[in-house]
Amino acid sequence: MSRFRSFWLELRTPLAAMAAAVLVLNLLSFGLGQVPLSTVLTALAGSWGTTYGIGQVLFKATPLLLAGIAVDLALRAGLFNIGVEGQIAVGSLAGTIVAVVLPASLPGIVALPLTLLAAASTGAAWAAFAAWMRTRFGAHEVITTIVLNRIADALVAMLMTAWLALPGTVRTKDIAPGASLARLESLSPFFSGSAVSWAFPMSLLVLLGVTVWLRRSRAGREVVWVGHNERACEAEGIAVSRRKILAMGLSGAIASLAMAGTVLGYKGYYEIGLGAGVGFGGIAVAFLGRGHPVGLLLAALLFGTLAQAGLVINAQVPKEATGILEAVVIIAVALASRAGRLDASARAAKGES
Amino acid sequence: MPEPALQLEHLSRRFGAVLAVSDASATFHYGKMHALVGENGAGKSTLLKLAGGAEKADQGRVLIEGVPLAPPTPAEAIRRGVGFVYQHFMLVDAFSTLENLCLGHEPVGRFGALDENQARRQAQAVMSKLDLDLDLEARVAELGVGQRQHIEIIRILIRGAKVILLDEPTAVLTPGQATHLYATLRRMADAGSCIVVVTHRLQEVRAHCDHVTVLRRGKVVLDTATSASTVADWTRAIMGQEPPPPVQRPARPEPVQGGLQLKSLRVESTDKGHLAVQDVSFTVPRGTIVGIAGVEGNGQRELVRAIAGLQPCNEGSVWLDGADISKMSVAARRAAGLAVVHDDRHREGLMLDVSVSDNLVLGDLGTGSDEVKTVARRLGAYGIVPADPSIRARNLSGGNQQKVVMARALDRSVAVAVLAQPTRGVDLGAARGIHEAIFQTARQGAAVLVISADLAELRAICHEIIVIARGKVVTTLPPDTAEEVFGQAMLGEAAP
Repeated sequence: MSRFRSFWLELRTPLAAMAAAVLVLNLLSFGLGQVPLSTVLTALAGSWGTTYGIGQVLFKATPLLLAGIAVDLALRAGLFNIGVEGQIAVGSLAGTIVAVVLPASLPGIVALPLTLLAAASTGAAWAAFAAWMRTRFGAHEVITTIVLNRIADALVAMLMTAWLALPGTVRTKDIAPGASLARLESLSPFFSGSAVSWAFPMSLLVLLGVTVWLRRSRAGREVVWVGHNERACEAEGIAVSRRKILAMGLSGAIASLAMAGTVLGYKGYYEIGLGAGVGFGGIAVAFLGRGHPVGLLLAALLFGTLAQAGLVINAQVPKEATGILEAVVIIAVALASRAGRLDASARAAKGES
Repeated sequence: MPEPALQLEHLSRRFGAVLAVSDASATFHYGKMHALVGENGAGKSTLLKLAGGAEKADQGRVLIEGVPLAPPTPAEAIRRGVGFVYQHFMLVDAFSTLENLCLGHEPVGRFGALDENQARRQAQAVMSKLDLDLDLEARVAELGVGQRQHIEIIRILIRGAKVILLDEPTAVLTPGQATHLYATLRRMADAGSCIVVVTHRLQEVRAHCDHVTVLRRGKVVLDTATSASTVADWTRAIMGQEPPPPVQRPARPEPVQGGLQLKSLRVESTDKGHLAVQDVSFTVPRGTIVGIAGVEGNGQRELVRAIAGLQPCNEGSVWLDGADISKMSVAARRAAGLAVVHDDRHREGLMLDVSVSDNLVLGDLGTGSDEVKTVARRLGAYGIVPADPSIRARNLSGGNQQKVVMARALDRSVAVAVLAQPTRGVDLGAARGIHEAIFQTARQGAAVLVISADLAELRAICHEIIVIARGKVVTTLPPDTAEEVFGQAMLGEAAP
């Protein structure tokens, strides 16, 4: 297969998904009495049409990208991490606690890494626990991570209301200035006014790092191999359980960073419910991205665009339209990738004698 | 000549870029035993499936008693009296023999209830004709492969098949069971059936078949009565060239220290709670090639897994060069010089959707060797074709996949090699290469244990052969012992 053809096959799914989203949006807005195409054009203008819109898309894509990387990384090891949602919650809270208690005078070079480390290690432990239960007792990670999501929700709410929230609110105190992530508008006037912060370039670095790690390092390659054939790896002496726990731990760590942009780069505090749904959005991003770094990035941008566009067209169609569009994209991806798989298996079958 | 039972006229079948069957014609007669032979990928199974309606031909046609098979489906084929016995049995394990026999065409009484007596009568009628006696009430899960195969055959006979197509029916049988099967098939042929067998065991063709059709690269290259040709003729036709000289097994070394030693090993079965390996003790000295013969499912798998460290020993111990390795991890045993090739290369050997180069170094990361050089050396030394390390393992032929697994296991410092089914599903040329590699390993001083379902292979390459049955060592025999003695021993009866 030529390089171009395989590139095209990779690209087919997201393109089909976007086409479906545009089509459905048109139908929806037409049904609601709008002039055809007008809603789509408004949505485009409000997301990619202005520098502010672009900044907002990147801002909304940041946590989705990190959550998507997290789900994708676990998938590589053959684990389905449904628990990104809960890992984000416990990780964000842990990071915020550290950021809140740090002295205000601490410089960013110290405060920020400490905050991120607290978030990442908490999320990592939360996720690795599920992987450990899988490898030690055979408890399926889909079940355990779903349950852990509920526990995380309850735990975070309990800690917040009991100790952490400011009286009469559901939010924490403000974080130490050193722990905050600067907005990109300080870098370039292009992003003036939008909420996108250094968290976005940081998420790109994570994407690059994970990609290189999976392809080049011993541990990363063995993680991928375990995902492909656990039994063959076990037979050749690879520490299968350790690799799975490692992959899941890293997945949880990356998931926990997902809220860095919102807490450290935008709000400056944590509140109950912040980031709800991002973990599930990450699952969609991972599936749409199909295990390719560029795919993950494009998928995160697509969902970020939908989120931003949803706000813009609020006046024309109800805000539930965004939810419908996201669902359409996910269904389109599921259908397209199934078609792709059928196509690939048909080709493989023909290739064999 | 009477009217032929089955005629294949200019059949072609393409899978993508591969022409699996190319303009192949053959004629099969009632009362005869026909053999279809050829290397893996020569198209013999595809041709058989075309004949049985399990595949559709791109070109050409199948005639049953002179009338085209239309539509070409298995259902139509069996309706017209052509039955197919698959290589992997299509039986329901939880059902009884009788239930399996009538599955899909159950005789029903009033209100649609299964008429068991009628079913039993049908089965008894077929069995008495063939002089067979199966326990109709036994659960299929508890039966051996030989009996399962007979169930498959009786099943299609009950449905009125007069042409019986069998895909590699003896691949999983002992020599004794194979002889029994061919005796049954011969009785069927004598009673007027037409039998077509796909096999790669030429000695069976010599001993039991009337007519042989050789396929190479999808084409019929030889089509002759077995009495009018020799095994050497067939081999030449199969390979398309003179066969290479037979492999020379290295001389048995003087008794030496070290190697592999099993002491009173007991291992639990992988699926049920019983002991699959019972009190097995033997020694494989360095430089020696020892074979394990036995019917599949008699503890071979558990034995290999216990030596490899994938399964704990319930009792007893495994020793390598005088050191007890029973408690070591798989990785530690590997580092100590143990090389293991498991019997199922797709499940325990390869990552099919990963590159050949990654497959060649699975488990070798972090050993400090130059990965690119290692891959190049292993590709070259084992003649893996195509020698492209970037393609997926899935896209290699079975023989080349097996070479990848062998290269990874043997291309390093090996003290003990344990090789399960090293040439299963591998064509003659590749099998030669693998045998050479085994000899090379022994010559370099490693102890080699070969577990194979192919007794002829063990007799050709081993210095001595241990026969096991039901997880116990029955006897140890020199390789030139008569085949019947092996067959007896494999059933658990040691020769006096």
